[in-house]
Amino acid sequence: MKKLFWLLVAVLVMSTALAQQTRLRVFVGGQQRPDVMRKILDIYQQRNPGVRVDIEVGGATSDQQQQYLTTVLASRDPSIDIILIDVIRPAQYLASRWADTLDKYLPAASRQNLLRQYLPAYSQANVINGQLVALPAFADAMFLYYRADLLEKYNFKPPTTWDEVIQQAQTILQRENNPNLNGIGYIGAPVEGTVCTFLLPIWAAGGDVTNAEGQFSLTVEQAQRSLQFWVSLMDRRVSPPNMAEKPQDTIRQEMQAGRWIFGTLFAYAWNRFQNDADSQVKGKIGVVPLPAFPGGRQASCLGGWQWAVSDFSRNKAQAYRLVRFLSSPEVSKILAIDASNLPTFPSLYRDADILRVNPWFGQALPVVQAARARPQHPRYAEISEAIRVNTNQVLARQKTPEQGARDIVNRLQAIYSGR
Amino acid sequence: MIQPKYRRSFGDLSERALAFWLLLPAALLLGSVALYPVVRLFYTSLFQRRLTDETGSNPVFIGFANFAQALSDERFWTALWNTLLIVLVTVPGALVVGLLLALLANLPFRVRWPVRLGLLLPWALPLVFAGLIFRWFFDSQYGVVNDVIVRLGGERLLWVTTPDLLFWAICFSIIWKSSSFVALILLAGLQVIPKELYESAAVDGANRWQSFWRITLPLLTPAILVAAIFRTITAFQTFDIPFAMQNGGSSFETLAMYVRTMSIENLNFGYGSALAVLMFLISLAVTLVYLRYVRGADD
Repeated sequence: MKKLFWLLVAVLVMSTALAQQTRLRVFVGGQQRPDVMRKILDIYQQRNPGVRVDIEVGGATSDQQQQYLTTVLASRDPSIDIILIDVIRPAQYLASRWADTLDKYLPAASRQNLLRQYLPAYSQANVINGQLVALPAFADAMFLYYRADLLEKYNFKPPTTWDEVIQQAQTILQRENNPNLNGIGYIGAPVEGTVCTFLLPIWAAGGDVTNAEGQFSLTVEQAQRSLQFWVSLMDRRVSPPNMAEKPQDTIRQEMQAGRWIFGTLFAYAWNRFQNDADSQVKGKIGVVPLPAFPGGRQASCLGGWQWAVSDFSRNKAQAYRLVRFLSSPEVSKILAIDASNLPTFPSLYRDADILRVNPWFGQALPVVQAARARPQHPRYAEISEAIRVNTNQVLARQKTPEQGARDIVNRLQAIYSGR
Repeated sequence: MIQPKYRRSFGDLSERALAFWLLLPAALLLGSVALYPVVRLFYTSLFQRRLTDETGSNPVFIGFANFAQALSDERFWTALWNTLLIVLVTVPGALVVGLLLALLANLPFRVRWPVRLGLLLPWALPLVFAGLIFRWFFDSQYGVVNDVIVRLGGERLLWVTTPDLLFWAICFSIIWKSSSFVALILLAGLQVIPKELYESAAVDGANRWQSFWRITLPLLTPAILVAAIFRTITAFQTFDIPFAMQNGGSSFETLAMYVRTMSIENLNFGYGSALAVLMFLISLAVTLVYLRYVRGADD
């Protein structure tokens, strides 16, 4: 009887301890290394015994994750406290009031001090209409991956202009005469990455979707020249005729199987090429900044992920504290070493521990610094759809570059004028 | 002596009241998962509601403006036309293939289970998997379809990105996926046709072809109609296979795909709901035809 009494007391004490514990739920995508995220959250739990953090893993692509999150957030579900969102989404999260703006926790002066430490592109991407929507998790940008072994075999140096890429691809394809080897891979399926494909030549030529005042400024001519460039790679047979079928990860998988000489991919590909068990190209891949376009400059497309606090969370203050930890240099370093995620702090690109694992990060800083952001707009989903579907149709030769360019510009103009 | 009064276990309920209470849980369940969403959908379709601006939290009543917009929306008509094409091609296609499969499965094999299993498998496969499998089949570089074409001396075709080819690739996949369901219904229909009819037809000197046209087909008509109506309703809702085959793209867009893009992606819930209501009305019309037919059969 006495034993039972003490057991009851123990259970009571434990349950009150549990009740005092704050439980937070963090949402990350399947491609964002939930295993590494778990490790990071364990560190936080150790330092904050009163907090227990659960992890919820979503779909593999940004689109798939957002479809699920739309359902959760549109129904004001409080179960998720912190969300890892794509760099293209802060404007929409603010407009939909899905994100708790973080300014209330940060006085103006310390907000400035904090944001100054990050790469400028990310502090800009997360401040919409003067409000801080999220804090950066890790950086990303597009790079040119190449088969170092093949370039070496034909005495080529890593290319710096697209003309060189085309010429090298032509030579290698001709001499190798391997029907399974493709030349230049770029994203052409109707997926988000194709928005980057479309914008790269436009940025390199000094254009953009909007001007410095945020007004719509893209011309049909600029759009047409970009589409023409990507179509010409198929015309010159350095890219296969089915580029409209290729989403990013298909090119990554095929390159991993040794089927591409060049590929324009985001930073995640490096880790897969080097570490995946099925990789046929371990140690054979080089990576450089994207080449300069004819008559233009180099340009890369800014990617990256941000931590936002859900406006429907019941523990916003605690969630904010965790977000501060997750967006700290300490976590950025763990993500760089364990997941090859590019840091959001410029200083970490010289960190010896990080460079030991990812030697190419040394060259990556200027690329990330110069990378351009896709348009920030609450209706970004519609902008993205207009660009990726039309670009895809041009690559599939259902539309001429001129027709595709006109359709993109007309649709974007309508969105920017609120129709 | 007083007779013990007969007591019903549910108190003194009349037959009607008892029926009411017994049906109530099911009715509540159906009401909350079927009726409420449909009513809510109609309600939302009367509002301007985009989650990307202030109408997200303060919807503005606009009457039937969303429906007016849909009727002048070129993309809506294209999606409707595409959906109709899918219905017109895949319903007869699945019926013909399904009938052949059912006849095959009805043959007096010694071991029947491999045929029956083969019939069930496509039906048991989730639609989106079927879409992904066929996307791979029709891949222009690594797909088995182009491999066969090249071996036969033909040119590689860009199945997924050429609109006409994509349409036929989608129809082929849908027919493959749905004909097994048709075959299951028809097989059930075939098995209730009395064997004696065939025997007496054979005695009268009818060949197989004649007994198929004069006995099998007329007696199978009710089953064929049921299968056709079910298939038509699901064909109007076609989504998974074209969606998966195009990487989520919308070169070939059905009505259901347009509804999803408008609401889940563009977050335009008002207009998306109006499109969904229109789709619902079309499905309802087909279902009413079906109900009428079932009533007719009962009488």
